[in-house]
Amino acid sequence: MNFPRELKYTKTHEWVRFTDEETAYIGITDYAQDQLGDLVFVNLPAEGDALTAGESFADVESVKAVSDVNSPVTGTVEKVNEELADAPEKMNEAPYDAWFVLAGGITGTEDLMDAEAYEAFVAEEG
Amino acid sequence: MYAMISAIKVIRSEDTAPYGNIALERVLTRHAEEGECVLFLWQNRNTVVIGRNQNAWEECRVKRFRENQGFLARRLSGGGAVYHDLGNLNFSFLARKADFDPARQSEVILRAVRKLGVPAERTGRNDLEAEDRKFSGNAFYEERGRCCHHGTLMMHVDLDRMEEALTVPRAKLASRGVSSVRARVVNLREYCPALTREILEERLTEAFAEVYGLRAEMLDRSRLDEEEIRREAAFLASEEWILGRRIPFSAALERRFPWGGVRLELSVKDGRVAEAACWSDAMDAEMIRKIGEALAGCIWDGDVLAEHVLRAAGTEESEDRGRMALEIARMIREETDGLGEGGETHGAEENAAV
Repeated sequence: MNFPRELKYTKTHEWVRFTDEETAYIGITDYAQDQLGDLVFVNLPAEGDALTAGESFADVESVKAVSDVNSPVTGTVEKVNEELADAPEKMNEAPYDAWFVLAGGITGTEDLMDAEAYEAFVAEEG
Repeated sequence: MYAMISAIKVIRSEDTAPYGNIALERVLTRHAEEGECVLFLWQNRNTVVIGRNQNAWEECRVKRFRENQGFLARRLSGGGAVYHDLGNLNFSFLARKADFDPARQSEVILRAVRKLGVPAERTGRNDLEAEDRKFSGNAFYEERGRCCHHGTLMMHVDLDRMEEALTVPRAKLASRGVSSVRARVVNLREYCPALTREILEERLTEAFAEVYGLRAEMLDRSRLDEEEIRREAAFLASEEWILGRRIPFSAALERRFPWGGVRLELSVKDGRVAEAACWSDAMDAEMIRKIGEALAGCIWDGDVLAEHVLRAAGTEESEDRGRMALEIARMIREETDGLGEGGETHGAEENAAV
């Protein structure tokens, strides 16, 4: 299981990569994709949609189930990774490259963990 | 290790239209209480239920099915399309994530049907089979930390109607939506000829109590907000949810006529033809162009598309064009969702003959 140091993590298994204080890429973690199994579909939000920390902003379908993906931040969708919609398997193959959205105008976040804390959290949950 | 379930509840619905049932299921999921597992038992009459991320037109002849009093519904879980009639019983297990245990829940179903003499087994994809034939397809969704595990139980489903309902026209549709997987199926009445909904519900309730080691209570529906269920049902019955979902797709229709070949390529977005192109080695360039133009912007409905072709082809100008247009219109109806011939449509062909 991979836990890149430069990322922050949520308890609901999303990762955030801040590019500056107000802007960040969001995706789901290696642990999330492993639990979900083969991903076959992703519903992404639209550019300009509002994001609220802790609330669902997308959902994914795997061969096992449909699950919500929660936003780690409050802000606005600045860019959507449309390529992911065409190739949902990218979430399995390279979860930390498979960003869902670029969030801008970030004004708040959920309680985020660093890699070490998240790794411990996952070990406990598993 | 089993989750700490301290109460198991059963609720059944007498309603047989899908939207209220799926709405009730969602509201039950949303309000599952700590330490509780709910089993909801319900039936839909003459219904095709498609998976959350499927393209309706790739799974079902939407228009024809509805003309025959069929309900088309989209569920919240993933996976493929299924047909429900009153020969099918649906079960749903609803619980908070910490109390949710698909293996244990499946054990309830297996135990119940084994009591009825069915040699039932769970397969890799969470479906339930008897002698390699599927009688229960299962699917899951998770929303705000609450989980739903639901499935069909085929007791005496009309297999001919099922086949008909899930057979799609010949046009090649392609989208990024999720595809259905065909499986060999079996009705439980093959093993237990006297099986009814009531008997199956009794066995399920017994098995539920045995697997969890608790007494099954009836869930008191008055704890739910009926207004919330109505709101949810209205959303689930909306065309926006059932047909929309913004899953774009492309359609290719092709046929060789005695006078030459025709191929139509359409891209459909939000239920409308966004782009259309026509190829033919027989028609004149003007007619080819006119047909392409006439189809762009149309709603995705075989009869409407056919009518536009007839109007655009300039049938009054030439007898040949008129004949070709009629045959192309027929092809569109037959290969898409049109009601086709057989006296069901009146508009297009009669108008063209005038």
